[in-house]
Amino acid sequence: GVLLPAPRNITILSTNMKHFLVWSPVMVPGAAVKYSVEFQGEYERDYANDSWIPIGECTGISVTQCDITEDISATVPYDLRVRAGVGTQASHWATLSSFFNRVTTSLIPPMLTVTADGYHLLVELERLGPAFEFWIYYWKKGQGHKVYRKVVKDSSTTLHMDTMEAGTEYCVKAQTYVEAINRSSNFSQVQCVRAEAGKAILVT
Amino acid sequence: CSISMNIHEIRDGFGTIKKVIQARDPIRTASILHPHSLHNFQILDSCCLARSILRFYLDKVFRHCETGSLYINRKISGIANSFLSIEKKFRVCQDENMCNCGEEAINKYHQIIRNYEQMDVTLAAMKALGELDILLNWLEAY
Amino acid sequence: PSPRNVHFVSRNLKNVLHWLPPEGIPEDKLIYSVKYLVYGTTRWIQDAECRNISQTWCDLSRGTSDHKELYHARVKAFLNGSCSSWTESPRFNPLTDTKIDPPAFALSSAEKSISVIVAAPKTWSRNSRNEPNYLHEIYPILQYNVSVYNTKKKTQEAVTILLGYILPVLLTVLIILVSCCCVYRYIHITKQKYPTNLVRVLYYPCSIDKCERGNLLPSEK
Repeated sequence: GVLLPAPRNITILSTNMKHFLVWSPVMVPGAAVKYSVEFQGEYERDYANDSWIPIGECTGISVTQCDITEDISATVPYDLRVRAGVGTQASHWATLSSFFNRVTTSLIPPMLTVTADGYHLLVELERLGPAFEFWIYYWKKGQGHKVYRKVVKDSSTTLHMDTMEAGTEYCVKAQTYVEAINRSSNFSQVQCVRAEAGKAILVT
Repeated sequence: CSISMNIHEIRDGFGTIKKVIQARDPIRTASILHPHSLHNFQILDSCCLARSILRFYLDKVFRHCETGSLYINRKISGIANSFLSIEKKFRVCQDENMCNCGEEAINKYHQIIRNYEQMDVTLAAMKALGELDILLNWLEAY
Repeated sequence: PSPRNVHFVSRNLKNVLHWLPPEGIPEDKLIYSVKYLVYGTTRWIQDAECRNISQTWCDLSRGTSDHKELYHARVKAFLNGSCSSWTESPRFNPLTDTKIDPPAFALSSAEKSISVIVAAPKTWSRNSRNEPNYLHEIYPILQYNVSVYNTKKKTQEAVTILLGYILPVLLTVLIILVSCCCVYRYIHITKQKYPTNLVRVLYYPCSIDKCERGNLLPSEK
């Protein structure tokens, strides 16, 4: 019979070290098309006879995307391929147009909530997973030359940055750093708060 | 030659398959890396020894560790590609003459190869893979 | 049958071997013998304190005190002169397999500050004078997380929730209940007579005692 067309437009969407392989659906009237995904790292190309490794969770799936985060676990160029199948009929493999290296992931500035609890400058961060460090910078408004930095790995709890002087406005910004790829995100928005005895005013 | 190696990511990957891999190594009375001698190794030569051991795993060990489990094969692939990523950084040091091999490193490496070649290749590969936590402990102190 | 599930349980490098008795054998008559081996060496070592014991655990901290080595242990059961085969433990790596207890710490407060003094957990000690070692001597990159809990803020939040949510809801429910009661009493309890000019129209044939229900319509007068 006529060979099934291979999937097209295979691309990788990678944000904050979460990597997804996506492709366009293959249309076969009246048939349920299934897809299978395999990956290959630089090791497989250079040392293991160009072998490919199937991704169990993306074998025989009907959706046109696959979470490959767990398999892209080294900072080397990876290749990925997808094929379509209907019953026993399978298309050719379609591969990425170019290798993917996680070093190209796009790092989004972290979401930050700055509060003053009395005289205490507190910061809450979003959770991004063990690969991330947060670099938090804070300074007294108007004294931009004197910036303090704290490096935080565990973002699960509220962080106490400093004890503020009454009436002084403190500003905070943060960025993420990923050691595995040795890259940082851009800075978050600056947020400023001022502490007055028992009350807090958010001034941004 | 200072290199960032991201050991905890490799340790996480190995941690998920360690029990299964070590259970496939029936020989308790022989070791390939032999923890004690690795830990007491002289710091000076450790760059050369580290690079040589990484190459040993890439050239000889991982390729003989194919298992029937897709999940284990994927984890081994992650470790192998991480080793390759680190080994490439050591290569840069070597090219810049910052990773030279002294006699002790060479002797130690040859000892490891002898240990490996005394066993059946699949058994030896599985044992070497099972000893990854010894290597990671040592690399972490590198 | 042999002992089962032989495994190390380690806390702060105090390494204790545990196992389960052989299946289907009365425990009280069983005694055990334990040996351990430094991985990669050829000699299984008998621990003097773990010979002919009846409990199903034994402290091997002394024999496994070199935390850079890896170990295996094995256990054999004896009953009335006969013995089981050995059952071995998985490989034990003290450095990575031990559980670290929370650190001890002390608080002292000054006028505007709180001092937190943290001490790393003590490890099992080899020497008889029980001079403790501390975990940070073994793990050079031991890190601590210190969290502060503002109890005053929590009571304020509790008061806010009480006044802001719970009381209003209770009041509303109370008002609704009271008004329902009044309406009910008005309708059912005060024996209200139907106006005389209403006649019950029965719209299906039935005997009087079964036809309590029906529509009341103004009579044609």
